[in-house]
Amino acid sequence: MKDIDTWLQTHLFDEVPVSICVIDRDFRIVKANRRFNNEYGAATNRQCYEVYKGRETRCENCAALRTFEDGRIRSRQEQGADRNGSQSHYLVHIAPITRSEGEIQYLIEMSTDITLVKRLEQEKREAERLAAVGETVAGIAHGIKNVLMGLEGGMYAVNTGIEREDDERIARGWEMLEENVTRISQFVKEFLDFAKGRKAQVSVSDPNSPVRKVMRLFSEKAAHANILLTVDMQEDIEPAPLDEDAIYTCLANLVSNAIDACLLSGTKRSYVVMLSSREVDGTLIYEVVDNGQGMDYEITKKVFTKFFSTKGSDRGTGLGLLTTKKIVHQHGGRISFTSQEGEGSTFRIELPRDGLPEPGTLEAAPSPIHYEV
Amino acid sequence: MSDSRQAKKILIVEDEPDVASYLEMLLNDGGYETIIAVNGNDGLEKLEQKKPDLVTLDITMPESSGTRFYKTVKADAELSAIPVVIVTAVTGYGGDPYGYKKFLGQLKNVPEPEGFFPKPIDREALLAKVDELLA
Repeated sequence: MKDIDTWLQTHLFDEVPVSICVIDRDFRIVKANRRFNNEYGAATNRQCYEVYKGRETRCENCAALRTFEDGRIRSRQEQGADRNGSQSHYLVHIAPITRSEGEIQYLIEMSTDITLVKRLEQEKREAERLAAVGETVAGIAHGIKNVLMGLEGGMYAVNTGIEREDDERIARGWEMLEENVTRISQFVKEFLDFAKGRKAQVSVSDPNSPVRKVMRLFSEKAAHANILLTVDMQEDIEPAPLDEDAIYTCLANLVSNAIDACLLSGTKRSYVVMLSSREVDGTLIYEVVDNGQGMDYEITKKVFTKFFSTKGSDRGTGLGLLTTKKIVHQHGGRISFTSQEGEGSTFRIELPRDGLPEPGTLEAAPSPIHYEV
Repeated sequence: MSDSRQAKKILIVEDEPDVASYLEMLLNDGGYETIIAVNGNDGLEKLEQKKPDLVTLDITMPESSGTRFYKTVKADAELSAIPVVIVTAVTGYGGDPYGYKKFLGQLKNVPEPEGFFPKPIDREALLAKVDELLA
């Protein structure tokens, strides 16, 4: 056992597959293990921000500073550059080296390179994006086929009406032609809006602000339809970098769908739609719960795909949830749902704080934007 | 079709009003009586009430979908004898217009539909199929 202890004491620091350094209160590296020096070059006596990030001054929002202050252990994902200047992603774990008396003199920083994981994540997102494009194209074709059939119907009515000198039929046919030309124009417009996207305006804002706005917008509509629209907001959620208008669009889409699900439900009962917001373990959670018609298995498989709509031609193009999904992805989050046919549905948006975009204007991209800098 | 015989009845299950109107005109012109149902539930009700001789069926509809309607009809001892002609814009992988027909063919205990027409339809072919099924 003594041999083992000796080995651990003398070699472990240099042998672990993790980059480790110890910094003092001036953020100077006073000790670094072999792995650290291999990764970042000779580091002792240099400032940590210079070594990790090539900066001349301390990072804004420095986690080490906070740990020096409160002694708490922190983990976070960071981006920097290795000794060759290649961009790297690493997960750093910061812990105080405490002494029995007085303030913390040193911190230990242990970082693991997660560049490969990040690259795989990005590739996966890209693959998903391409799949979504394919589905969207198939969805457009589906939507257009119905319009096309309406147009053919209109032509058939006009042609046979002329043959039979049936004015009523000609009028009906003409009406069908007009309706479907209008529909296809609307369709194209909405699709282009979706494809083009808009510049995301990300600013640090109150996550509850879009919730309040949605409540204001829909309370009248819900009351009119005899649906109880309620809200359950956790009031003390800290501000977060969000594209507020986009999050508002997401919540408005979900609440609008929930109200429709109640309206379309055949059974007689008291309908309730509840919008809630809260933060759990650094993740913002928005939820929309309804007790409307719910979805059967077949429909649940298609919810986020294509121009899929169950609402009939006058109610939707099926773009709402696709747009919502896109916005949630732009915020580094995810959207999920559960549904019970005849009982209702719950849609949930989860936005982990560490995946949220940086404040500022982001160029619109034709599909889910990647925020890697 | 001769007028001396009573016209056969066709139930059109279709949520798109213009598509329903088109099929209605087409089938009326072909000498058939028509009834329109706007979704699967409505379709099942009208099927029981009106006892049509044939059904044209859309697949993607609000409330009860066409697939459910089809399975219900084909699982019913009495109703399963009524021929069902599917008229749909649903496609399979790679945009295969007959993908949905293949999907139905893979289901257990579900027979193939008597007719299958991808939208937009070939109206001559649809009428010919209906004539053949109701001859």
